[in-house]
Amino acid sequence: MEEQLLRIKNQAVSLILEAKDLKELEELRVQFLGKKGELAKIIKGLPKLAPENRSSIGRLTNEIKRTIEETLERQLQQLKTHSTQESGYIDVTNPGIKPAQGHLHLITQAIEEISSIFERIGFVRRRYPEVEWDWYAFEGLNMPQNHPARDEWETFFVDVPPSKKYGSMVLTPHTSSGQMREMEVNRPPIRMINISKCFRRQWDVSHVPMFYQFEGLVIDKGITITHLKGVLDYFVQSFFGPKRKSRIRPFHFQFTEPSFEVDVSCGVCLGKGCKLCKEGWLELGGAGMVHPQVLKNGGINSKDYTGFAFGWGVERTYMMKSGLKIGDIRLLYSNDLRFLNQF
Amino acid sequence: MNILIPDSWLREFLETNAKPHEVAHALSLCSVSVERIEKIGDEYVYDIEVTTNRPDLASVWGITREAIAILPRFGYKAKMNSSAGGLSKLTLVSQVDYLTVKITNPSLCPRFTAALLENVEIGPSPDWMQKRLNLCGIRALNNVVDISNYLMVELGQPTHTFDYDKIGSGKMILRESQRGEEITTLDGTKRHLPKGVIVIEDGKGRLIDLCGIMGGENSAINEKTKRVLLFVQTYDPVRIRHACQTLSFRTQAATLFERSLDPENVMPALNRGVELFEKLTGAKVVEKIIDLYPKPYKPKGVNLDISLVEQVLGIKISPQEIKTILEPLGFEILLQTASHKLQATIPSWRADDISIPEDLIEEIARVWGYHNLPSTLPTGQLPNITPNPAFYWEDKVKNTLKNWGFTETYTYSLISKSDLENCGFEPQNYLRLSNPLTEEWEYLRPSLIPGNLKVLAENQSQSEKLRLFELSHIYLPRKGGLPEEKLILTGLLSGEKFYETKGIIETLCGELGIKNLSFKPLDSKTSTIWLSGKTAVIDNQLGTVGEIKPSVLEKFGATGKAVVFDLDFTKILSLATTQKQYHPIPKYPPLIEDLSIVAPSEVLTADITEAIRKVSKLIVDVSLFDQFKNARTFRIIYQHPQRNLKSEEIAKVREKIIKVLKQKFGAKLKE
Repeated sequence: MEEQLLRIKNQAVSLILEAKDLKELEELRVQFLGKKGELAKIIKGLPKLAPENRSSIGRLTNEIKRTIEETLERQLQQLKTHSTQESGYIDVTNPGIKPAQGHLHLITQAIEEISSIFERIGFVRRRYPEVEWDWYAFEGLNMPQNHPARDEWETFFVDVPPSKKYGSMVLTPHTSSGQMREMEVNRPPIRMINISKCFRRQWDVSHVPMFYQFEGLVIDKGITITHLKGVLDYFVQSFFGPKRKSRIRPFHFQFTEPSFEVDVSCGVCLGKGCKLCKEGWLELGGAGMVHPQVLKNGGINSKDYTGFAFGWGVERTYMMKSGLKIGDIRLLYSNDLRFLNQF
Repeated sequence: MNILIPDSWLREFLETNAKPHEVAHALSLCSVSVERIEKIGDEYVYDIEVTTNRPDLASVWGITREAIAILPRFGYKAKMNSSAGGLSKLTLVSQVDYLTVKITNPSLCPRFTAALLENVEIGPSPDWMQKRLNLCGIRALNNVVDISNYLMVELGQPTHTFDYDKIGSGKMILRESQRGEEITTLDGTKRHLPKGVIVIEDGKGRLIDLCGIMGGENSAINEKTKRVLLFVQTYDPVRIRHACQTLSFRTQAATLFERSLDPENVMPALNRGVELFEKLTGAKVVEKIIDLYPKPYKPKGVNLDISLVEQVLGIKISPQEIKTILEPLGFEILLQTASHKLQATIPSWRADDISIPEDLIEEIARVWGYHNLPSTLPTGQLPNITPNPAFYWEDKVKNTLKNWGFTETYTYSLISKSDLENCGFEPQNYLRLSNPLTEEWEYLRPSLIPGNLKVLAENQSQSEKLRLFELSHIYLPRKGGLPEEKLILTGLLSGEKFYETKGIIETLCGELGIKNLSFKPLDSKTSTIWLSGKTAVIDNQLGTVGEIKPSVLEKFGATGKAVVFDLDFTKILSLATTQKQYHPIPKYPPLIEDLSIVAPSEVLTADITEAIRKVSKLIVDVSLFDQFKNARTFRIIYQHPQRNLKSEEIAKVREKIIKVLKQKFGAKLKE
């Protein structure tokens, strides 16, 4: 009996150690430890033994059972970690199966980026009418009828009779009309960024008749030129990069006093001067302190409140950023998928 | 306007140790934008952008004045080299015997000045003058004309020269034109005048000058001219501008006059002109000069509360410093230290530009240097405004469609008349421009579909798997007011992809919290663009989705098929919600059954589904699972919230379903 048991043990252990897969192991487990397995047979035969042998054989059986279980467990772990099941070969350089990837228009991407920069410093995003009255687009902004400053914006007129109160109906040539609109609905503190469509009667390599501008307006107590500079520096660093700087120079707009042109330092030479920039700087757009007449037209007392505004082209600003060498702005509105699908 | 100023000419007036690049840099930072410096030979020429409010800077003399005020602030020496104007031996009178002048309305011509020069020898002007004019982009013609142009560049005062003997009867009437009058200008062009243009009529009743713009051919200088009338005027800017716009032509002189010139500048120009004539043409001036100047410049004052300076700039500048800044610019400053105010007397050349204290502050700030001001973010209260939720939903929709393979388009807001008609819109019902750039962009679009059909046509090579969308405004006229700018979401898929498109709409709306859309067949057989058998209208006026008629696609130059969805985004915004609902997870498993029904094809799946659903509260979902020939298989999900369902219960409901379907639709179970 003892010999038999030891033979079973040795057989079991050697078979287990040679087992190549989990299936085999399972079969061996059943064979030796199962209900009808080898050890079970021995245990069934225990009562037929002489009583004095029963306990020692019983003990030995249990020991062997444990040994077999342990060997099985060890082998199981071995097989799991060094499993030769997990072999197989595919050519990983074959193309992957890609999920659908669409494209947002560059303008949408630009608008998303620009608005989030300003929203971080408390600006509220607005959108104001694209088809406007002359009052909001010009007269309210301190540009009376027949003023030569109006020539700067080659305006489209809508073929309808003018309004007695508000003048002709036009397609707004700039987002500055939004300043009048904002003052109509909100009292200071005003911090708004208006990103809307504008229209001008121009069509060439750097002009399209329909384009986007973004206009910021801040009106509060104690707003000074230093605050305008602060916001411009913040934008320029967030949008173009931390090493970039902004600067303002004298200019003229009817609706701001003082008025400025805003430059950003050149990304290539960082302000030292190179072939691509004007003495280290690139023009971004216009800005200024809101003219007291404009505040008055907006129903705000210029003795208590001051403000600044800036207005720039979205397309132009965006194209300047990543060095996107899009030579012809009209490409942005060509809706050629070979262009749109690059972004 | 842009002007060209040679550096050497500038240095005839300006004495400075600053080099040209340094001059340009200082001016750009504090005064005018020097856009470029061109080197021509050994000459430097400044290309300067002069803004509309500073016509006083459109000259060598004007730039000199600025430079003298600005350069010292950068550490350069700068002072006046010679004084323009100088002592005059001329006598100004209101009547002369060589010229009879009648001005019908003094507002036309605030200052009328003329000098008679005799013994003029016409010939080329000296080399130095020709060279200077060429550097400014002006062609040299003869000494008389060149002197006139020279004065304009040097002093910013346009002048005109008449052949005196061609002025009929030595008489001039300065008046407004009548509609229909004609004049042939110096460039040989015959011009038909509207009413209200400033002109001069001579004693013979001929028009001899288009004032402020260009002289007449009939009074022009030629090689035989012996006597010249030097004409130095200022004109009403509004009428000059109106004339240029109506006649569609503009000269450098007119551009200057449009900006309203300083009448006090007339005399320095006249004196310099006489000086040049005597030197270069051998002329002799008749001492009496006619000068009609009914309203001479009265110095005006502007008061400034000095605390306002700090309010705008953000830094304090002492009253004494302010005085040193403003005086070199020509302002006379009286400090009232007790009240912390100052009184500024405005020089004549800034009269139109400086009227309010803020204008003075601009002068102080720019000379102080914007680059010298600190930079700080505003720290005031934030506006307490609920942001417009539209932007959030727009972003969500755009990004969702992008992730499903759509490309976003931006088509023009203006379309052509034929685009409108091809889509079944009546042009007279929509807004058009009175001055369109081209026919292509004449009408404000009432739909995004025409534009996007064009995109389809232009991208035919990619046409197989095209998925486009645009989320933008259309413009619907409103009586007596601005048009309604409505946001529309239009999408286009190439091919026969109705069900895919429907799925996209349903899932997209699901993303916005809008569930259970219902689609109904398009009722109208008279739609211009939609194929009525393959188009659905979405309830709640959300929009339309369907195939576009091939004939319409053809009109836009597209081939193949296209399914379009056209959704009222404003409506969508009113229904969109981030609010979520929680339904406790059922404890008991549902029972799922498939029923294959055979029904006449006119019976809509939606109706069958609805009818089945209504049969019992135990039915939690019914949907079309499969379709094969005339059999439609519906998957029905039964569930009880509190217990397991028994198959006998389901059997009862099933029987009822079959009965109802037979009654309502004549439908039966498939064998």
